[in-house]
Amino acid sequence: MNETNRRRFLLHTGHGMGAAALSSLWTPGLVGSAAASGPGGFPNFAPKAKRAIYLFFSGGPSHIDTFDYKPGLKDIHGQELPESIRQGQRLTGMTSGQKSFPCVAPMFEFERFGKHGTWVNKDILPHTAGIVDDITIIKSMNTEAVNHDPAITYINTGVQQQGKPSMGSWLSYGLGSENENMPAYVVMISRGNGQLQALYDRLWGSGFLPSQHQGVKLRSAGEPVLYLNNPPGIDREMRRGMLDGLGQLNTATYEKFNDPETQSRIAQYEMAFRMQSEVPELMDISKEPQHVKDLYGPDVEKPGSFARNCLLARRMAEKGVRFLQLFHRGWDQHGSLPSKLRAQCKDVDQACAGLVKDLKERGMLDDTLVICGGEFGRTIYSQGKLTADNHGRDHHGRCFTTWLAGAGVKRGFEFGETDSHCYNIVKDPVHIRDLNATILHQLGIDHEKLTFRYQGLDQRLTGVEEARVVKEILA
Amino acid sequence: MERCRPTAPLAASLYTFALAMAGAAGAEIDFNRDIRPILSDNCFACHGPDSHERKAGLRLDTYEGAIEERDGVRAIDPGALAASEFIARVETDDDSELMPPPKSHKVLSAEQRALLKSWVLSGAAYEEHWAFLPPSRPGVPEAIPAPGRNPIDHFVGRRLAAAGMQFSPEADRATLIRRVSYDLTGLPPTPAEVEAFLADGSPDAYEKVVDRLLASPRYGERMTLAWMDAARYGDSSVMHADGPRDMWPWRDWVIRAYNANMPFDQFTVEQLAGDLLPDATVDQRVASGFNRNHATSDEGGAFAEELRVEYVVDRVQTTSNVWMALTMECGQCHDHKYDPISQREYYQMFAYFNNTTDPGMQTRNGNQAPVVEVPNKETEAALAEVAGAIAAKDAEIAAHKGRARPAFGGWLRNAENGVGEAKPEVPGLTHYFPLDEQEGDTISAQVGGGVGKLSGTLQSVARGAGRGLKFDAKSDFVFGEWPARERDQPFTFAAWLKLSGGGAGAVFARMDEGMNYRGYDLWVQGRAVGTHIINTWPGNALKVVSDRPLEEDKWQHVAVTYDGSSKQEGVKIYIDGQPVATKVEQNSLSATIATSTPFKIGSRSRSAHFNGEVDDLRIYGRALSAEEVGAIGGDPIRGILATPAERRSPEQGQALFDHYLATQDGVYQGLVAARADLAKRKTEIESRKKVTSMVMQDNPAGKTRVTYILDRGQYDQPIKEGADAVVPPGVPEMLMPLPEGAPANRLGLAQWLVADEHPLTARVAVNRYWAMLFGQGLVKTVGDFGNQSSPPSHPELLDWLAVDFVESGWDVKRALRQMVTSATYRQRSNIAPGAVEGDPENVLLGRSPRFRLQGEFIRDSALAVSGLLVERVGGPSVKPYQPPNIWNEVSLNGGLRYQQGEGEDLYRRSMYTYWKRSAPMPNMLIFDAPTREKCLINRPRTNTPLQALVVLNDPQFVEAARAFAQRVIREAGADAGARIERAFHLALSRPPTERESAILAGELERVLGVFKAQPEKAGQLLAVGESARDESIDPAEHAAWTVLLQIVLNMDEALTRG
Repeated sequence: MNETNRRRFLLHTGHGMGAAALSSLWTPGLVGSAAASGPGGFPNFAPKAKRAIYLFFSGGPSHIDTFDYKPGLKDIHGQELPESIRQGQRLTGMTSGQKSFPCVAPMFEFERFGKHGTWVNKDILPHTAGIVDDITIIKSMNTEAVNHDPAITYINTGVQQQGKPSMGSWLSYGLGSENENMPAYVVMISRGNGQLQALYDRLWGSGFLPSQHQGVKLRSAGEPVLYLNNPPGIDREMRRGMLDGLGQLNTATYEKFNDPETQSRIAQYEMAFRMQSEVPELMDISKEPQHVKDLYGPDVEKPGSFARNCLLARRMAEKGVRFLQLFHRGWDQHGSLPSKLRAQCKDVDQACAGLVKDLKERGMLDDTLVICGGEFGRTIYSQGKLTADNHGRDHHGRCFTTWLAGAGVKRGFEFGETDSHCYNIVKDPVHIRDLNATILHQLGIDHEKLTFRYQGLDQRLTGVEEARVVKEILA
Repeated sequence: MERCRPTAPLAASLYTFALAMAGAAGAEIDFNRDIRPILSDNCFACHGPDSHERKAGLRLDTYEGAIEERDGVRAIDPGALAASEFIARVETDDDSELMPPPKSHKVLSAEQRALLKSWVLSGAAYEEHWAFLPPSRPGVPEAIPAPGRNPIDHFVGRRLAAAGMQFSPEADRATLIRRVSYDLTGLPPTPAEVEAFLADGSPDAYEKVVDRLLASPRYGERMTLAWMDAARYGDSSVMHADGPRDMWPWRDWVIRAYNANMPFDQFTVEQLAGDLLPDATVDQRVASGFNRNHATSDEGGAFAEELRVEYVVDRVQTTSNVWMALTMECGQCHDHKYDPISQREYYQMFAYFNNTTDPGMQTRNGNQAPVVEVPNKETEAALAEVAGAIAAKDAEIAAHKGRARPAFGGWLRNAENGVGEAKPEVPGLTHYFPLDEQEGDTISAQVGGGVGKLSGTLQSVARGAGRGLKFDAKSDFVFGEWPARERDQPFTFAAWLKLSGGGAGAVFARMDEGMNYRGYDLWVQGRAVGTHIINTWPGNALKVVSDRPLEEDKWQHVAVTYDGSSKQEGVKIYIDGQPVATKVEQNSLSATIATSTPFKIGSRSRSAHFNGEVDDLRIYGRALSAEEVGAIGGDPIRGILATPAERRSPEQGQALFDHYLATQDGVYQGLVAARADLAKRKTEIESRKKVTSMVMQDNPAGKTRVTYILDRGQYDQPIKEGADAVVPPGVPEMLMPLPEGAPANRLGLAQWLVADEHPLTARVAVNRYWAMLFGQGLVKTVGDFGNQSSPPSHPELLDWLAVDFVESGWDVKRALRQMVTSATYRQRSNIAPGAVEGDPENVLLGRSPRFRLQGEFIRDSALAVSGLLVERVGGPSVKPYQPPNIWNEVSLNGGLRYQQGEGEDLYRRSMYTYWKRSAPMPNMLIFDAPTREKCLINRPRTNTPLQALVVLNDPQFVEAARAFAQRVIREAGADAGARIERAFHLALSRPPTERESAILAGELERVLGVFKAQPEKAGQLLAVGESARDESIDPAEHAAWTVLLQIVLNMDEALTRG
């Protein structure tokens, strides 16, 4: 494609972001190797991470019952939440009517693990406990939102309302794909046993960005990518012939109208064809050695499980997919938390640890960022009746826990601190905007520079409020 | 013709891509065109309208601010570069001094700095932002070089000529009709339409095509589709559960409005304030639903007021964006950074929408009040039809009764002779059901007449030697004709009952549950028995039940008597002939109980189905005494026959005639059964869900919700201190004032928006029409006309169109017609060599743009050319093919599954596809359809591999190719060349070239060979889609043509508006 056509091609597909938009089409083959940088200059600096895998636990996992443990919690068990801690904070409509707010210490065994004696729930996260020396645990995450829809929209798109692009689509827009046959942003969904809060296309949508940046769902049942399979009766050879004929016809059209968009369309059809072979190869884990599968646990054999998705994520990451987001549903334990959280962790514990180990063994952890967390945490007080072996917890945005691994993030590190009731942050708060800025930073992006002009504003993922890169967690 | 004022020199006029040249050439500087965009983008955020964030007290958005002296320094000293600190700060090498500061990531180019210097040197003249000044109609320039077809061409032609360019030649007719058909209706022309146009030698042949298209109902659909994006229309509520809602009556209103060419000012007023118009019609209230389309939540833990405020914020944003292309939403938290809109002015707009009655927490199942019930034409027509049929049947029955008298006389004589000994019947019996039926789907009254039509299953059970009926809490019998009953009419209800379980239900009833339970019943609850006599439940009703239950699993006789007094004392209940104690649950009856809902045995109008066994059901028109209750029983007909004829009451005489008709007269029975069928149908139609549409509704005067500024936009932080804390409704000062007498509510706001002098409304509207037809607007930022907007490429044309639009009476069809009949529109779209270099974005319009069709048009076209398209305007949204698990993969608790429609639902136009906004139809999302969670004025237009996969593999498109192949094979005969030609005419509105035919002929041979060798593959391909296939077509041939026409449907040209 000549320079003129390329310019025009850009004008049609992006909105004047220049080569950054260019690089984010899945078309490096078409436009030459201009993929890396342009006027936007992404990456802005040498990135530590070439790619990222975000293990997103939808529903609000309890920080108290997983990582944010303090032996003193036993002493406050059964006591009313003091006003000195609650500080008049608003509660969701689900517990604001409760007459009593008894604090609950975790009904699990905790133990110190790793070089620094990190507390981890050994009952339900035994495998994760084994990787604490490879990860940074942020205990001081916080968000203003306390209900699912606004909170999950907030952390994934930067605002609580609808309409903005998701983090993955921002990354696709800024960095493009490393693999011309694969989208830059892939999403996988699995479900646990608990209350399944809804997900929304907007969480991986492209908002006002061009739609090629929307996350492509990789699916366990049916076609791995929507509309990927040829119709029955049409095999690959016949499709090849169809595309050859179509290519000739479209070339004739191009000769008539001289429209570079036609050339681009020819290329898109060829890419679609290549994707049709690339994706199924990536989905096929039959050639993975047993010892690798064993890392992820027995669920890896079940298509659609979180464990299978983790292994697929590694395979995609290896093939240059820029951003992978795995949504695991079912973390909304308003009741029966002890039993439901146990079952929920069983889905993910070994697979999370296995993914980190697998990446590490392949040397990929050095340039792959892994993030694991949800949209908010849960309350120290019981939702519903506290009994000897049962209770629930309501949503809590003032503090929660997220862990990160790889790509320049400190290993064996804990950051931030909450108070005696795991209710307020007393040290080093990390707002969800800060986390997002940090993720972009590791991928080589200055979050203030990743902008897109829409409705008169240079919009960005981290919005207009202050956001900072959490340098303290970086090695 | 009036000459226009001199236009800017060539280079400056090409500023959108050659701004640098303007500066370099030292051409005359136009503040709005050349300087404002630089200042706005780089300076206003800190030195602009936002007084709170203003740095160093300096504002650069006004001349006064810029030249003001502070500490002996002036930012701008007009004409004096050296004395202007502003210039020093943009030119410095010192990062700590540099403006804009490096941390803003804004960098001025050398050309921009040169422009700023020239501007300061020449006096730093400011102009008001063009978009905030009312447009005035400029004179139409003389045509250069050749006369245009209409004034548009004069403006465009002059700009082209100034740039040394000219119009491209007019497109050929086939291209032209295809282009204008897509642009005005979203569908391609048929081959016949193309042919007619080619053959039409009249000078206005093209104008005739345009008029035909504008008159087509498809025009309204096409315009509405664009409006649906702006109006954030959806069939679901967006947040949390994203449950269903019915706003399609609003969508249909928009279609009708466009098709009727409702003037845009009226279109505006009705959608923003239809509910506030005097004597608002249902239609006008439906129209006001524009501002109920926004996202709502049902999340359990949510804060209702936070959500309610969010809804108001959305309405301000959407309304200002759609009508004024203003980004008012910035004012929620602070003064606008770029446009002169203060935070207070934002809340003045907010106040217009802050007085509505809809709550923050909304329903997850259907519409949230306030709603308006929408007359459903289909239901009304069906009801009228069935009512007519019932009247006709009643007339037949009456006529037959007259004819049956002689035969009845004969039967009576025989019956009287044969009756022998029998106990005389207790007088007053009006209806008697032996319930001995053991099969069929009707039951008949032996006395009183009437045939009940069954829904469910008929189950006959034994009671002693006789038979009764069992009801399973699902079945009931509905009756046609039934005598009316009022509350002052006494009755006795009697029957044998056998109850096993608990539960509640009506043994029989005539009760309209949809009308507050008006009517009466014989009632069972937890094996106790009683009756309801109701005007309005529970406020105006009588309810009495037995204190003790019937025994379990035992036949017992029950009688309820009522004396017509409307009082509890008037009701007595007998079990096995013995009076029992009663409980009074309601005793407040004082108004009519009459209802037109049918009498039913086994349930009320819709529910409360009876669970138990019943036999020997009798209704008397009087309250029997205790003694008489004890005497109920035996065969009443025999009792009457045993009574000497001269001592029979008229009712008893009638009972005999009814008995005769019901048991002896086959013709009568047939008539009554047919009438029962009709009655059942009527009930079914009446029980259809009522259609509602959500509407706007304000709190009444005296209960108006007060608006305060919300600190940093936080819903729970109203600023209530200060004398002027209360913010009344109002409009931004920078625009025109409210019209005289405009009310301080949404109606006043709407009147202001459509005032003739309003600077934005008409410009924004015509610019949006322009963008629809030309691919991009005269103002490229279609949704933003503020300081951050791109300046108009043809400012005078924009103003001319805007003023002309207003002066025409806001005539939308006229505006569009004017655009599509221009020579500008009718040019070829071929890109001449060198054209791209000269004007890559085609800003000067030296050719017609060529762009990909929107997803809906692509799908609709495939359906249209294949003959599958079902064109029906409006109605509930439909569910065509969608890959499995799209909904339940993400829905709350996985509970919601997509239920694919069938038949015609699969082939409607795409605008009718059910739009679930958290998981919309993926094949349209892939083609850039927005989720419609928020207002979106201008869709992006991308070109991706996933789009290729949709058109190649989506069953909708594969099926369309199969039907297309069938159509071509049937219509074009056996010759392959003729078939290809037909296919091209259908899909591309033109014949194929020789080269194209050859490519396809070669492909056909190859594919046909494969399918002949592997017929099972042909079978598999042809099985895609639910429409039937013409089995007479050879499968291999049909499959091969399917593949071939898939290629045609995927051609760039088939996906492109050329």
